[in-house]
Amino acid sequence: MKMQCKSCHTELAKHAKVCPKCGAKVKKEAYKNTKVMAIFGVCLTFLGGLLPFVQDVDPTNNVAKIKTDSIEIAYSFMNIQQPIYWYLFMLALVVSIILIAIKKEKISIISTAVAAVIFGVAFFASPYLEYTTSKKPFILHNLTDLLADPQVYAIGLGVYVIVIGVIIAIAGCFFDILKHFKKEIKVDPRYLSNSLNKNVWAKMRNFRWFYLMFLPVLIMVLLFNYWPMLGVRFAFTDYKIANPYYVGIKHFVGMATKDVFFWNAFRNTIILSVTKLILNTGAAVIISLLLNEISNLTFKKTVQTIVYLPHFMSWVVVASLFRLILSPDASGLVSSLFVKFNFFATFNDVPFFLGSTKYWTGTFFVINVWKDTGWGTILFLATLSGISPELYEAAQIDGANRWSRMKFITIPALMNTIITVFILNLAKVMKIFESVFVLKNDAVDPVANVIQTYIYDKTFRAGQVNYGYTTAVGLFNSLIGVVLVLGCDYASKKVRGRGIV
Amino acid sequence: MSKEQVVVNRKKKKKVKIFPIVNVVVFLIISFCILLPIWKVIVDSFDAMAGYGLAFWPRRLSVGGYNAIVTNASLYTPFLISCFVTVAGTALGLFLSTLGAYVLIQYEMPGRNLLAYILLFTMIFEGGMIPTFLVMKNLHLLNNLAAVILPLAINVFNLVLMRNFFEGIPQSLLEAAAIDGCSPIAIFYKIVLPLSKAALASIGLMYAVQFWNDYTQFKIYITESKLFNFQVKLRNMVMDSDVPNLGDIDANTTKNAAVIIAILPFMIIYPFCQKYFVQGVNVGAVKE
Repeated sequence: MKMQCKSCHTELAKHAKVCPKCGAKVKKEAYKNTKVMAIFGVCLTFLGGLLPFVQDVDPTNNVAKIKTDSIEIAYSFMNIQQPIYWYLFMLALVVSIILIAIKKEKISIISTAVAAVIFGVAFFASPYLEYTTSKKPFILHNLTDLLADPQVYAIGLGVYVIVIGVIIAIAGCFFDILKHFKKEIKVDPRYLSNSLNKNVWAKMRNFRWFYLMFLPVLIMVLLFNYWPMLGVRFAFTDYKIANPYYVGIKHFVGMATKDVFFWNAFRNTIILSVTKLILNTGAAVIISLLLNEISNLTFKKTVQTIVYLPHFMSWVVVASLFRLILSPDASGLVSSLFVKFNFFATFNDVPFFLGSTKYWTGTFFVINVWKDTGWGTILFLATLSGISPELYEAAQIDGANRWSRMKFITIPALMNTIITVFILNLAKVMKIFESVFVLKNDAVDPVANVIQTYIYDKTFRAGQVNYGYTTAVGLFNSLIGVVLVLGCDYASKKVRGRGIV
Repeated sequence: MSKEQVVVNRKKKKKVKIFPIVNVVVFLIISFCILLPIWKVIVDSFDAMAGYGLAFWPRRLSVGGYNAIVTNASLYTPFLISCFVTVAGTALGLFLSTLGAYVLIQYEMPGRNLLAYILLFTMIFEGGMIPTFLVMKNLHLLNNLAAVILPLAINVFNLVLMRNFFEGIPQSLLEAAAIDGCSPIAIFYKIVLPLSKAALASIGLMYAVQFWNDYTQFKIYITESKLFNFQVKLRNMVMDSDVPNLGDIDANTTKNAAVIIAILPFMIIYPFCQKYFVQGVNVGAVKE
């Protein structure tokens, strides 16, 4: 983007400080990080609303307990008598985030403050319910009364997090305000285009049909994308079949300290996903480089058609197909070949590649490469066809052979696309589910269970279901996903000048 | 020319000629690797003796496997359900994504950015499997095909892709129509839609593949066996050997036939629609 002087619209040099034509000072877009700081603060406040405000005390050292089993009694927005408080609190914070995102930081202070006031009212004035597992759970408490007995109750994590979050959110906005006290360049309204001067309401009336057209999309998104986001609160509750009741961060502590299956699943997710990504990308690059060297167009098209083919099979079909050809008896193609060429003496010696922990991982990668490599070449081939043939001709005249042409022309031209594809797929690392889900069986759980399949098994196949716990695992997964997506977005902006979302 | 130079030249020439041949051979091997499993399954699906030894050609030709699927109600109902979900889901998905994309290219509209943010945020954060399941439970959509169709029909990625396609339509065209008195909805179906047939084909195919291949949603929301789609049925047949007893037809033959039927619809239309599929991928990654 070219920089422009705001008062006379002259194009400016990149690092100009004063406009050469009219002498006005050029303002740089500064304080960008403060916006991030404000959003971070709001998110922290949001998180604080989920954590316990008051919880029972560890008798030995008089501080709030963070141990797994001991958080039996914890109070938060979730067990307030009127749950409307929590919704209002959250709404205020969402409004804050939106206001910051559309650069209305000043107004966002008001909504953040409203959220803080709601928290204050909830904390000091309103009674809290104590849920128990039994049918008639309702005992009313006032948090301030509870705190009068410091031997039993102490202020929980949530209060501290909310206070710190609100301070950071408001401070972040305030730093952004500072720039409003500096001298602004006044722009003559006559130079603004007509549409900008029009009344917003009149404009909205003009577009009223479009809002109506967007309504179905909005309803669907709210119903199936945003409503589940509210369900994240169950991560802080025990939710057996009905009647979720608040238990604070018990599940997260338990997950981190006691659940070996969870850590195993986490490790498998990273190993399977990242290795798959590297193998698939590598294979796709090699195949597209080779494919690019083929001069016969008919042959090239045919090969392309064939290698794209497996992508259209669902994972179930691919799993069934490989289950059939890998089956360790006379009906399996692979085992028959092994026996025929005397790798194994009888069919009993042939391992079932999808059923033993030793071979499952390797088989998984082979199947993945088989299915998705061809499809992965599309972007690389598009880039390769964009390289000017003149470059190759010039190199040929200079005496470059095939190898050095590839090394000095093709690979550098392809590098950007490789990084792009890598970044695009890295953002999806935590979402690996269906491919593993259809290929694994209980025998290979130690090497095959990923977080999503772990959640599925624990919810839909276990005898005693606790939606709270599995939601907590899912939330952990989603949060890592968010970090990955934002990180990849940032990286993508650095590498190719635009983000991925 | 000295003798040495001649030798060098000859070597160079030879090298250049060898590489294309090696390359072609490599691709023949790759194609073979990809086609061999598929060919084996096709052969076995026509072979009444499937499952006895190595064969690359049916030994006892029979269409019994296919016949079993076509005549057996527990096997063809899943196929019909798959068809219904694919058609209904693709239609709904295209409807929603074209509408959404059309609104998102109204640059002058107040609040356009806000609406775009609302959509894009769902690509960053998601509630996860269990909260979504609980929402479906609250909506009483469990064991209802709506639970499978609706969440996948609003695919934000496809909507953004559609917007990318729509951005290629010149704004002046839309403005001209508006000045001539065309209403927004008339502009939509008289100008925008006819101009983006390729986009509709491309994204419609993406939706169709997604719905036809859907397994996860069915596994989570549908527990009644009479509402299973073909993918779920196929998985039960092959992995858990849940094949109805059909007399002299080997169970393996039926399994192989089921695999072929599951891939048949897209194998038939794929060669004709390949360019639309490829176009979708390229627009998704290359254009803003």
